[in-house]
Amino acid sequence: MNDIERRITDVMLAKLQVRDPSLTREDLDRPVADLDLDSLDVVELTQLLERELRVKADLKETAGFAFLHEFSAYFVTLAKA
Amino acid sequence: MSAGIVGLHAAKSGDVVDNSHFESIGLTDEWIRRRSGIASRTWFPDGAELADVAAEACAPLVGRAGDPSAIGALIVVSTSVRQRVPAIAQKVAELAGLPSSVLAFDMNAACCGFVYGLVNGLSLIDAGQTRSALVCTVEAMSRMVDRSDRQTACLFADGAAAVLLEDRAEFPRFVHVAGGDGGREQLMRETDAGGIHLDGAQVYDRAVRRMSDTARQLFAHDPAPSVLVGHQANGRILEQIRTFTSELGVPFVNRIEHFGNTSSASIPLALADELSTGSLSAEGRLGAVAYGAGEAWGGVSVSYRIPAAA
Repeated sequence: MNDIERRITDVMLAKLQVRDPSLTREDLDRPVADLDLDSLDVVELTQLLERELRVKADLKETAGFAFLHEFSAYFVTLAKA
Repeated sequence: MSAGIVGLHAAKSGDVVDNSHFESIGLTDEWIRRRSGIASRTWFPDGAELADVAAEACAPLVGRAGDPSAIGALIVVSTSVRQRVPAIAQKVAELAGLPSSVLAFDMNAACCGFVYGLVNGLSLIDAGQTRSALVCTVEAMSRMVDRSDRQTACLFADGAAAVLLEDRAEFPRFVHVAGGDGGREQLMRETDAGGIHLDGAQVYDRAVRRMSDTARQLFAHDPAPSVLVGHQANGRILEQIRTFTSELGVPFVNRIEHFGNTSSASIPLALADELSTGSLSAEGRLGAVAYGAGEAWGGVSVSYRIPAAA
């Protein structure tokens, strides 16, 4: 895991733990639908990752992600662009 | 020397509606709190006249002004007054005890109404057109929403508040920021069937960005605000803005829990409620930021000195 991936993971885990402090990095592999995230959580997570990486994301794109690893891959691509 | 806020009063009219009211449309207290941060809100009774409620907000400020004839302007801001002719400002002026010579007019800028109205009132004073002015916001959003709509019925609410503006030697000049994008008019709009359409995710995203950016723009001017009050659109939006403006180092007010989204009335209601807790100084620099239908956004940095009873 490189630095960008680690920062993305930290932001995602912090976001998940707001809802459920018992969640761990292993839970990041679960489907978004299983993680008690609502549509506003997805917007919030997108904005938090944009802020962390200083990039601009497409909300329509992130709203369609079914797994958090899709967020990770998408934001890694944006950060490296 | 410039105009600033020297009085603030919130009307108390209305019935408290808690979240249990929405169980009939399938919404639980837990769901509403999680999605919006709202526990209860005020709705005006169906027969309540908005001019009466607006006057309830204005009259104490007129009484404390000493000389009502010094108040040369009354701006009544509302997006939910259903009547277009006549405007309600003249009736509010009469009921509040203002002289017949007052320049009184209605104004609608949706959720940005208070900020835009404030800019108008402050500008009239700074231009030397009047010694003082009243800006009153009155909203009955409960009459605009479809009360069976699960997205908006629990979110919007009613309220009224007014501010008295005057010149003070110690007040630095106010600063404002404004913007709009008519291409995004579909994000928030009144529907033909009656009700309000909200593109929830897009509105959330835009509201956070615009209000956060506007706050930062206000901080580019001296003196910087000592407190930020954003349009109380949704508790989730407010908490995200608080995170995104934390570097500014001033309190960001979130009082939506017992008010709901009262459109243009939300900023003065939140400020009045926060002041009532004693957590804010009665004297400072308000940074008010708003975002709403249009789409429109804006902010104003203005000095205030508000006596406890005002």
